[in-house]
Amino acid sequence: MTLAEASTVAAAPAVPPEDAAPPRRKSWFRRLLRDKAAVAAMTVLGIIIFGAIFAPLLATHDPYVNSRSVMTPPVWQAGGDPAHLLGTDGQGRDIFSRILYGSRLTLLIGLISVGIGGFIGSMIGLLSAFYTRLDAWLMRLMDMMLSFPAILLGLALVAVMGQGAVPVIIALAVSSIPDCARISRGIAVGVMKMEFIEAGRAVGLSDRDLFRKYLLRNCISSIMIFISLRFGQVILIGAALSFLGLGARPPMAELGMMASQGRDYLLFAPHIAVIPSVVIFIIVLCANVAGDALRDVLDPRLQA
Amino acid sequence: MISTITDRLLLSIPVLFGVLLFGFLLLQLVPGDPAQVVAGPMAAPDVVEAIRVQMGLDQPMIYQFWAYLERMAQGDMGRSMISNKAVTEELWSAIGPTVELMVACLIWSVPLGIAMGTLAAVLRGSIIDRVIMGLSVAGVSLPIFFIGLLAVQYFGVLWFQLPFIGRGGPLWSVDGLMHLILPAVSLGAIMIGPVARMTRSSVLEVLKLDHVRTARAKGLTETQVILRHGLRNALIPVVTLIGLQAGYLLGGAVVTETIFSWPGIGRLTVGAILSSDFTVAQGAILVFALAFIIINLIVDVLYSLLDPRVRR
Repeated sequence: MTLAEASTVAAAPAVPPEDAAPPRRKSWFRRLLRDKAAVAAMTVLGIIIFGAIFAPLLATHDPYVNSRSVMTPPVWQAGGDPAHLLGTDGQGRDIFSRILYGSRLTLLIGLISVGIGGFIGSMIGLLSAFYTRLDAWLMRLMDMMLSFPAILLGLALVAVMGQGAVPVIIALAVSSIPDCARISRGIAVGVMKMEFIEAGRAVGLSDRDLFRKYLLRNCISSIMIFISLRFGQVILIGAALSFLGLGARPPMAELGMMASQGRDYLLFAPHIAVIPSVVIFIIVLCANVAGDALRDVLDPRLQA
Repeated sequence: MISTITDRLLLSIPVLFGVLLFGFLLLQLVPGDPAQVVAGPMAAPDVVEAIRVQMGLDQPMIYQFWAYLERMAQGDMGRSMISNKAVTEELWSAIGPTVELMVACLIWSVPLGIAMGTLAAVLRGSIIDRVIMGLSVAGVSLPIFFIGLLAVQYFGVLWFQLPFIGRGGPLWSVDGLMHLILPAVSLGAIMIGPVARMTRSSVLEVLKLDHVRTARAKGLTETQVILRHGLRNALIPVVTLIGLQAGYLLGGAVVTETIFSWPGIGRLTVGAILSSDFTVAQGAILVFALAFIIINLIVDVLYSLLDPRVRR
């Protein structure tokens, strides 16, 4: 079953999958391309991801080495130096190169934590829809986890484990679990009510097959969309933790941390704090716009 | 109505227990030996041992947890490892400023968000709708510290010279109010986007319903239809959203308080963690979790006030 078919099933539970799928199968990607904002967002995000992956090749300077030209403004401002495209920070490090390396870490933290949290969360959601006996227990557990907001969990974990990227990733992953679990449970409960599940049971499929081939495949695309919408939020929280000095440790470049270091120079050299903040903003904005568009195209029912 | 509230209260008991267990484990997992920390690095081994017995650290975990619960019930959270003040005292002096900040932030951002969302829904498809929705997506994507830094630079230094360091005094004094403006504006900015988006989709949903058509049919003006029949029903999901955003808001408060040196719980927590003051950190984290539970309890009550169907 393709992605489009699966989403049709989740979107219109009353219609049997065979009848509804064909007209939508090819068009969703084309419809996505028609949304200019989404295309622009995906392009920009693609460029940033490209820059992050190939940071060692693209960087013009070593991101960790100080130089004598401290607080040089970016090229387009008076006093800018063409050697430092985005200027230098308070310790004379090249901001352009640090941004490349910083986006690497920021994106990686977001990706890993959304991946882990989304996987565990959606498994919990699917299981609690599948085994109704577990439902009440698992959902109460999720309610409990929900009362620990991500930033709080991050603070607590950093208190225990010390500063670093690992506690931040754990906190972001764990705090993504309850949201993902609730959403995927909602989606899965809808699928579980459908006749083909009943039919699968009737022909004597094992729970394992019923779960994997019937439930999971019909839910996966909707769940993936939700997880992609979560990505932006996770990046923001991760950056906030780094900004507070609780994330990645200093010589490492991380966008939130760079903004926080720039805070001390805000009045004389605002670009040191502003540039990394703007990059975070662009990443999150693009992720949100693209995620919204993807959701509208693939599964309009998730809009609520 | 009353049964809803009792239900919610009963439901918060296991949550509260979980929160306390979490706080307890936090103190257990902290690196280093607590007895050694209390005794100081130069203490003789027998002194450390005596303190260990005195603190009950030689007892089994279950017993220690019970003792911890007993202390919590008596409002004893221990003493700060840095200032040696009672943790409850430190927390107590920080709660006021945080509540002040939260209220000041919600008081302007929620009504504005609802107004923007309603406007966008009513003028659906127009330029105004697109601008409002664009602004709210941008608002949702802005890092909170960026808003704070911009506020400091533009409103604090370049344009208006508004104060941006610390709290100016009690709320009823001019100085107190002036100091509150920038933190409240920055924190509120992150709430507008989600509230406006939710209001818009919720109003659009409600305007399709039969009772709105009836209201139009009986000749009410469009404003009356929207305000009395549309918005009131549309507010239910918005209230829920505010409850769900409570965690986000608390997180935002941590960052905002740090940027503006606002003497609240958030800054206390971050400071305690960075200086390894674990007793204070643990207490502050408990207060945060408790605040989250209380906010959601209030939201549930509001919810049942707005939606009679829930009361049953």
